[in-house]
Amino acid sequence: MADTSTKASSLSRRGMLFGATAGAVGVAAHAAAFAASPAQSGDDMVDLTKSHPFYGDAQQAGISTEPQRHSMFMTFDLTTAKVGDIQVLLALWSAAIAQMMQGATIGQVEPPQDSAVGLDTGEALNLGPASLTVTIGLGPKIFTDIYGLSHQRPPLLRELIALPSDSLVPGLTGGDLSVQACADDPQVAYHAVRDLARIAKSTGSAQTRWTVMGFGRASAGRGQQTPRNLLGFKDGTRNLKEDAEFEKFVWVKDGPAWQRYGSYQVVRKIQMHIENWDTDRVSDQNNVFGRHKVSGAPLTGKTEFDTPDFAKTDASGNTVILPTAHIALAAHENNNGIRILRRSYNYTDGLNQFGQLDAGLFFMSYQNDPAHFEALQTRLGASDALNEYIAHIGSGIFFAPPAPKQGEYIGQAIFS
Amino acid sequence: MPLNSFGRPLLLAAGFGTVLSMTTALSGVARAAEDAPVVNGVSQVHITLVGDNGGACLIDYDHIKAGPITFTVTNKTATAITEVEIQSDNRILGEKENLAPGLPAVALTLTLGGGSYQVYCPGAGQELQTFTVTGKAAAAATGTTAQLLQDGTIGYAKYVAGVAASMVDAVTILKADIDAGDLAKAKAEYPLARPFYERIESDVDSFVLPGFKATDNAGSLDYLIDMRASALDPKVGWHGFHAIERDLFQNNAITAETKSQAAELLTHVEMLAKLTPTLTYKPEDLANGAADLLEEVQTTKVTGEEEDFSHIDLLDFAGNVEGAQQAFAFLEPGMMKIDPDLTARVQAEFAKVNAMLDTYRDKTQPGGYELYTAQIKAADAAKLSKAIQALQEPLSKIGEKVATAEK
Repeated sequence: MADTSTKASSLSRRGMLFGATAGAVGVAAHAAAFAASPAQSGDDMVDLTKSHPFYGDAQQAGISTEPQRHSMFMTFDLTTAKVGDIQVLLALWSAAIAQMMQGATIGQVEPPQDSAVGLDTGEALNLGPASLTVTIGLGPKIFTDIYGLSHQRPPLLRELIALPSDSLVPGLTGGDLSVQACADDPQVAYHAVRDLARIAKSTGSAQTRWTVMGFGRASAGRGQQTPRNLLGFKDGTRNLKEDAEFEKFVWVKDGPAWQRYGSYQVVRKIQMHIENWDTDRVSDQNNVFGRHKVSGAPLTGKTEFDTPDFAKTDASGNTVILPTAHIALAAHENNNGIRILRRSYNYTDGLNQFGQLDAGLFFMSYQNDPAHFEALQTRLGASDALNEYIAHIGSGIFFAPPAPKQGEYIGQAIFS
Repeated sequence: MPLNSFGRPLLLAAGFGTVLSMTTALSGVARAAEDAPVVNGVSQVHITLVGDNGGACLIDYDHIKAGPITFTVTNKTATAITEVEIQSDNRILGEKENLAPGLPAVALTLTLGGGSYQVYCPGAGQELQTFTVTGKAAAAATGTTAQLLQDGTIGYAKYVAGVAASMVDAVTILKADIDAGDLAKAKAEYPLARPFYERIESDVDSFVLPGFKATDNAGSLDYLIDMRASALDPKVGWHGFHAIERDLFQNNAITAETKSQAAELLTHVEMLAKLTPTLTYKPEDLANGAADLLEEVQTTKVTGEEEDFSHIDLLDFAGNVEGAQQAFAFLEPGMMKIDPDLTARVQAEFAKVNAMLDTYRDKTQPGGYELYTAQIKAADAAKLSKAIQALQEPLSKIGEKVATAEK
């Protein structure tokens, strides 16, 4: 299957969404006044006919894939004690995902028998593949004696340690399986998770646990402009983009063959105190991040990709970038070289019980050791200036195994 | 007390202008002839707190000559009043905290110019009473905008130092109760010790103990004094007010650990009390500090997170609001020149917030506010948050206004 099967002839108005590019024309003259505003590139043009392959010889789609515009994430609790049920569920899911990633239904939407229910819920009909990827993660409980799978446990898979400033809500944590669906059409991503949840319930082996719907990808992939989180700042300027970086920091490269090109998936639902942030002076916002809001340049630099100089001091001898600035605490230079892949999305849940905007960042990272995330968050949770404006309320850890080969299902080798 | 000898019970109702003049007319007393006595050039005024009529705060003279004035404050029987402030147009010029029956009288000397002032006694049946200083008017607020703002920062600095000093007094009492192993008294004292930090937190939350890095919570005075569960750094552990709160209200026990936490807390608030008189502020610091305090309301008071064990969040809420309003009030004379409309907007929103807070007053609770129960939170949290949101937006414009004011 072609990686990116763009069929120019099939493009229609419905099939093309002009994102950042369209706006850029109108504001070009204005933007020119700010030297720091980068020229908009055409790489962010969305083509809803594009598709990604589900099957493969290495990693699952949806990790190194350039982030799509929307996401739907859900975790599931296993409700079965039989390992065979997990196999059936993963096999059914795999087949359904392969269908949906090609823009196809997973079965009849309108069955001919009057008393039948549809297999596919139908809302994604004719919306195209929209670059859908569905990435499956396996939680720690799968690799236990309950299922006779302790011996297969990926060696670094375990619950995350308690981290500073954790404000976790029990209903937004954990899960035995995770499903991350990303697409350029939110309805396509939603449909994928909804129909996989139906399959889980129909087999009786798993039930839904918690979910987050994301929009406005908040981490850039290769060739993409750096997008913005809901605090208005560019997010992911120093994200991993090159193959060599993925090899070094993201993919598991040793252990049993079925684990290679797998990766540890960490998710965190991070609530933002929007009203407070919006009334904070811009100089403080810039200091909190250590970057300029519009250009994304570090406070010690001029353009977005300038390397931050954490030692540079101002006239009064203080570092220009505060030691508690978000980028200072997260930078690999200050963390023994540790780097992780971020693949986050913005989310909103409307208004909360206090009448405040309920929104934030659905943070997702992939790394070849979850201790790398823990090391970074231990520092950030303890003293990040941004902590005044955020709270980590949801959390989960999973192992995303490599993609199945055609004719197999995800994680199949675990059960052999 | 001169109260009886001068036969002026009318002062009980001094805040009601109509009542005052009526009674004066009936008694035929010419008040102008009765300025407070002056000893060694200092006018002597007594403020007495009594428990009658739901708590009252009595000032023995309502006309005082301009110049230095000593207010001697005695709490005779008012168990619901712990605080007296002398105000001018909402600006706190001086205050005495930690007042309780049985404690010796305390004195406060201020130099006041002619004009109208208020005695404010939170929790009294009649909270606000006016008095008049006769004689040469205080220098009217007629300087340049920059000068007015500068004067405001000096006044505010005094306010912060005063609050920090009062915090030391209150924590000293709390520590004594804890050292004595008196759980009931310590529980009653904890709410009285809390609001001070909430009033000035934005000015003092960035101090780092010598020898520590800014990223190490073990050296962060704010962490050590006011950390709470949601900010827990497992490496550094529980400290300060909320470690004590947890022991008193959740574990219902005073242990050796509680006592050492109380001693540590006292050491740290004493450090703050030494530091605060040395602090100077730019006008925008006041505006930003006020905004920071309102952020605190939104993230930790409305949610009930701050006082998870004692549930005195509404008291802290009022503390944050008072601190924010003080910062704003000291900018007000300058702000009236820069942008009277915005100033009026902010004043109006503060008034709404205060009116709303008043509905939660409860004299039976130490600290004077209802506990923030699950029921109140479920019913009112959104209302409380929205009132603060409505204040945050206009208030957030002030920093820029004062920072860019004509010099």
